[in-house]
Amino acid sequence: MKALIVDDAKVVRVTLARMMGQLGYEAVKAEDGRQALDAMAEHPDVDVVMLDWNMPVMNGYDFLVALRGMAQHATHPKVIMVTTETGMPSMLKALAAGADEYIMKPFDQDMVAGKLAMVGLEAAG
Amino acid sequence: MQASEFRYMQQFLLRKIGLSLADDKQYLIKSRVTRLLREHQLDDANAVARAVRRDENGPLAQQVLDAMTTNETLFFRDQYPFEALRDLIFPELIHAKGRHGKINIWSAASSTGQEACSIAMTASESVPEPGRVHILGTDFSAKAVEYARRGVYTQMEVQRGMPIKQLVRFFDQQGSSWAVRPELKAMMHFDHANLVDNSLAAKVRRHGPFDVVFCRNVLIYFTPEERAHVIDRISRCMHKGGYFISGATETPEGRLSRWNQVMFKGKRLWQLQ
Ligand SMILES: C[S@@+](CC[C@H](N)C(=O)[O-])C[C@H]1O[C@@H](n2cnc3c(N)ncnc32)[C@H](O)[C@@H]1O
Ligand SMILES: [Mg+2]
Repeated sequence: MKALIVDDAKVVRVTLARMMGQLGYEAVKAEDGRQALDAMAEHPDVDVVMLDWNMPVMNGYDFLVALRGMAQHATHPKVIMVTTETGMPSMLKALAAGADEYIMKPFDQDMVAGKLAMVGLEAAG
Repeated sequence: MQASEFRYMQQFLLRKIGLSLADDKQYLIKSRVTRLLREHQLDDANAVARAVRRDENGPLAQQVLDAMTTNETLFFRDQYPFEALRDLIFPELIHAKGRHGKINIWSAASSTGQEACSIAMTASESVPEPGRVHILGTDFSAKAVEYARRGVYTQMEVQRGMPIKQLVRFFDQQGSSWAVRPELKAMMHFDHANLVDNSLAAKVRRHGPFDVVFCRNVLIYFTPEERAHVIDRISRCMHKGGYFISGATETPEGRLSRWNQVMFKGKRLWQLQ
């Protein structure tokens, strides 16, 4: 199983990569939406994207819209927002754009494992 | 702890809430009551035991009982019980009762209310006219009941077990907290009830008889005899053919002959004969 972790904060990328590693995922990382699109081209077999919202260059929401706009990515991979945007309107906006789940920061490994299960991905490890 | 005080606490916990504490669990009492010392200006666990002995129905005694039992719970815990409601139990009940008949469900040991809420959300999504579903949540803990009644959960709590689609559909945001919507709240009622109390049946009677009882992650506290009594008391409040859902690792021992085992997705549910 492969996860793409997208966040401009290094500490979040590292933390998430460690958690996903413990859950049996191989982690690919990107620092903004632009890099994430490149990563998707290189790793079209990614199973889930853990996606920050606020990032420079291209934010998570714009990445999500671009990703779901591609025929081969209309529903795959699963996308889980991981963000400090905790307002209901943001959630509704992300869901409408094709996000599958939503994590409000801060998070822990239990929560990540639970959200993976909710999108139909069991912990692989 | 002094042996005499520990023995007193053991029998106090057993008598009051059926909690059976093994002889080697002194440390558990010590570690759990430590945070009560300052508030009550007591020196140690022995002093707590003596104070409880002086007033077994007072606030300190209640706090000790609370501290000795965990309220840990989460939305849609173990998932399969809620899938069983949706795919098996509600369809059966709707078939048997028609479109309008009342459906009564009891979350016995409801803690802070997540289980009752999850039942209410499941009903809202899979029962036509969900208003006819009545959910009773009971717990001996006054604090837990108060919390459940308020129905306001933290950001952490709403992210444990609950998919985002249910959150946005069934909760209103209040700053960083989330309040259960009125239409869901209207289906639920929370009250104090002690499962080991002989008056349990009388206490919940006006909310029953129950078609489904959730009694999860609480039976583990009891001795096998007490467990059998609790299940007997509960079964007297149920409809014939009603479902009993225990925790994933718990079984309704005792009068097993009165229960039919029903398998759902590899998990056991129990149906009252
Ligand atoms: C771990 S929680 C379980 C909550 C929920 N049923 C679940 O499975 O997530 C256990 C609850 O049982 C309650 N409890 C323990 N002994 C009890 C008793 N004798 N009568 C009523 N409630 C009791 C505790 O107060 C606590 O809220
Ligand atoms: Mg960011």
